[in-house]
Amino acid sequence: MSNKSTRCSACKYLRRKCSEDCILAPHFPATDPERFVHVHKIFGAGNVSRMLQKLPYNEREVAANSISYEAYLRVQDPVYGIAGTITNLQEEIHRKQQELVRIKAEIAIYTAGNL
Amino acid sequence: MSAKASGGGGGSAGPCGACKFLRRKCVSGCIFAPYFDSEQGAVHFAAVHKVFGASNVSKVLLHIPPHKRLDAVVTICYEAQARLRDPVYGCVAHIFTLQQQVANLQAELSYLQTHLATLQLSFPSQQQPQPDHLLSQQQPLSISDLPSSPATLSTFFDLSTLFVDSQPGRQQQQVTGQFDMKHMERSGSSSSGGNGGGDLQALARELVDRHWAASRNIEAGWKHSQ
Repeated sequence: MSNKSTRCSACKYLRRKCSEDCILAPHFPATDPERFVHVHKIFGAGNVSRMLQKLPYNEREVAANSISYEAYLRVQDPVYGIAGTITNLQEEIHRKQQELVRIKAEIAIYTAGNL
Repeated sequence: MSAKASGGGGGSAGPCGACKFLRRKCVSGCIFAPYFDSEQGAVHFAAVHKVFGASNVSKVLLHIPPHKRLDAVVTICYEAQARLRDPVYGCVAHIFTLQQQVANLQAELSYLQTHLATLQLSFPSQQQPQPDHLLSQQQPLSISDLPSSPATLSTFFDLSTLFVDSQPGRQQQQVTGQFDMKHMERSGSSSSGGNGGGDLQALARELVDRHWAASRNIEAGWKHSQ
């Protein structure tokens, strides 16, 4: 399809014709151009196309979403990217584990004191 | 085969792992040289190149201050390897696992906080506890009392909940689960454990060791050439 209004955001950005079997079109609609910009900046359109092509159809949407998410986080935080989020979650887990220990100890003391 | 680096990033040590993999001359000031040594560096770089591409990584590193580039390389290598291991989810799968752990811990915390509050209400410190009172009025709490919200848990495995529609006109899926944009703020490179965190830490340790070894070799090479 060479009509500009029906090109996906990937083909629009790359200034190329968007074919009917464009592998990126289902995952990078024209309504969200920024999504592809991030992905292209970090992964590159060719790499993403290749990765999606290797996957079965039913897994491509999930893969495209996870790739977009990683790209978005890497653009936001070029140094740590998604690893920063992982670190935050690990620290939150650590804090909650410490809190659990504290509360269990408090319960144990309280229960023992009231027996 | 790449020519021996006469002015390569590694000095007299030969081409860096990246240039070795790319089969190109490793020039002086090669941006990859400090982080990908000529031995194991090529293996790490292979993953990075396959997922991101050398050019894209080079551009990312150029926009990062030099003292932060090692951290960036470590995380990029981690992401690349995770993506090769799991082409569908990459390291996002790890985030889901961690989110699940956070949810479980929070549920347990809420349960125990309620339990503690109940104990405190039932047995204020001023009163003497009555064993009969305890047995007659308080039912033992069990695992079935934990809140169960399978609908909420299922959102953790639904990628459509990852994005928040924070900008008008931007097509994003709404976050209905626990994960939101707050978690995207970096808090530092420290990591306090977790299954996937072990991989990241091991990779970080290896790259840091090689980075410092490479730095010493470069310095020795410069001094020798002078």
